[in-house]
Amino acid sequence: MAASLNRASVKFGNFTALRDISLDIEAGDFWTILGPSGCGKSTMLRLVSDLVPPASGTVEILGKTTEAARLAREFAFVFQDATLLPWRSALKNVELPLEIGRKRGINIPTGERSPRELLELVGLKGREDALPHELSGGMRQRVAIARALVCQPKLLLMDEPFGALDEMTRDHLNLQLLDIWRETGTTILFVTHSIPEAIFLGQKVLMLKANPGRVKDVVEVDLPFPREIALRDTPQFNSYCARLRALLEDC
Amino acid sequence: MSVTETAVENVATERMLSAQSRTRLVNIAIPLGTAVALLLIWQIGVRVFEVPIYIAPAPTDVLHVFQTDFALLLRNFWPTFLESLAGFFIGNMAAILIAVAFVHSRLVERAFFPIAVFINTIPILAIAPILVLIFGPGMTAKVVIAALICFFPTLVNMVRGLQSVSPQTLELARILSASKSEVFWKIRLPSSLPFLFSALKIASTTCVIGAIVGEWIGANVGLGALIIESTFNFRSPLLYATVFVSSGLSVLLFASVTIAEKLIVRW
Ligand SMILES: Nc1ncnc2c1ncn2[C@@H]1O[C@H](COP(=O)(O)OP(=O)(O)OP(=O)(O)O)[C@@H](O)[C@H]1O
Ligand SMILES: [Mg+2]
Repeated sequence: MAASLNRASVKFGNFTALRDISLDIEAGDFWTILGPSGCGKSTMLRLVSDLVPPASGTVEILGKTTEAARLAREFAFVFQDATLLPWRSALKNVELPLEIGRKRGINIPTGERSPRELLELVGLKGREDALPHELSGGMRQRVAIARALVCQPKLLLMDEPFGALDEMTRDHLNLQLLDIWRETGTTILFVTHSIPEAIFLGQKVLMLKANPGRVKDVVEVDLPFPREIALRDTPQFNSYCARLRALLEDC
Repeated sequence: MSVTETAVENVATERMLSAQSRTRLVNIAIPLGTAVALLLIWQIGVRVFEVPIYIAPAPTDVLHVFQTDFALLLRNFWPTFLESLAGFFIGNMAAILIAVAFVHSRLVERAFFPIAVFINTIPILAIAPILVLIFGPGMTAKVVIAALICFFPTLVNMVRGLQSVSPQTLELARILSASKSEVFWKIRLPSSLPFLFSALKIASTTCVIGAIVGEWIGANVGLGALIIESTFNFRSPLLYATVFVSSGLSVLLFASVTIAEKLIVRW
């Protein structure tokens, strides 16, 4: 089990952002998360990544507490904007997780791939020395993905990572992400606003509803891998879209 | 990226560069031309209306002083230069360290920020005589005045710079379980550099003002002392020349800071 939530709730003061979330996420799964704006999707990822504590209930990652998992670098986070350090080159940004804690003698798990190889994996070979402001939005997001992979996390949390990108770049990065998922075998939790993106990427789509945030439904996407862009024009794909849109509308 | 795309981009950048260098040339030529024209008007005006030299010397009179009294100007340049530089380093260093303390402890900030604001509200001209009384007529008083005048803008900018880290970047640091000192050295300090440099640019010109004000009050060397002396002796060409040297010093310091910024802040 990569992550399991048991009746977990999150409160901000008196406001209940999430209530009674129970989920079991199998290792190696690709989950996408959909829901109306403000329903608590980001909060759920922040709960799993130990950024906000549960008000009640429990969250476990690979059988550990979220804090222990964070200290062991079991998970990594990709934010909507790439959150690169602007004074560091692409390569130096990817190396950042390896530098944090090194002087304190903390044992940092390193993957089989070096930062350089990870940049190559996300298609940025030759741009290692570029500063973030010299890269396009899509390239910056790919650097952020490479940075997230550098400690070989077992769980990858992504909060609308491609939300600010144009359609073409987004398609391209979706395919690349599926390749990375297949190659690394990591578990992915992926928040998105786009119904087609959620279906195209996910094995399971988690639908949340608002006020307070709860699980509305988990839809299994029974479409074969590896997936191609052309899949989106098939009737099955479109029927999934219609079904999720209907679900989203009565949230 | 394909080869043709790169080629097209190269041509585009080249065209942009040449356009850029042309606008840069125009940007230099216009103010330079204006300055030369103003100097000419000044020269002709002084000569045509036969203005006495002690009221307004012609540019050529001032130029003449640079030839005859160069050693005198230089002898008074060095003390002011050293005072400005020492004040610049001490004042900014103190501001940076106190800003770091403020950002790390809200208690320290609450205790000392009002005092810093209060010190800043005292006009430098009012506090300068007090400092000269305390530290005597030597260089120390001038260095302290120059440091004081640099202090506040740098403090405010540095605090803002250290706090300019986005919440998401701090979340990233937390997910990586970064320690407080790692957040400081790897994230906060580099983020503050653009803010610090804009403060240092201000300080690079005000520290010269501080040193000169200090010299007005009590000194027998330095550009400030020379300004007072040449004014009382009606040596206007020398006064004008001293003023030019003073602003030259400011420009020198400002340019050094700008060059350092170009080299360090490359993002
Ligand atoms: N730090 C916080 N303090 C108080 N309320 C918060 C905080 N963070 C989130 N909330 C509230 O919790 C709710 C869920 O927020 P969250 O950011 O998780 O929504 P979301 O589903 O990610 O929305 P979006 O799709 O717009 O990104 C919102 O109503 C928000 O106002
Ligand atoms: Mg969100």
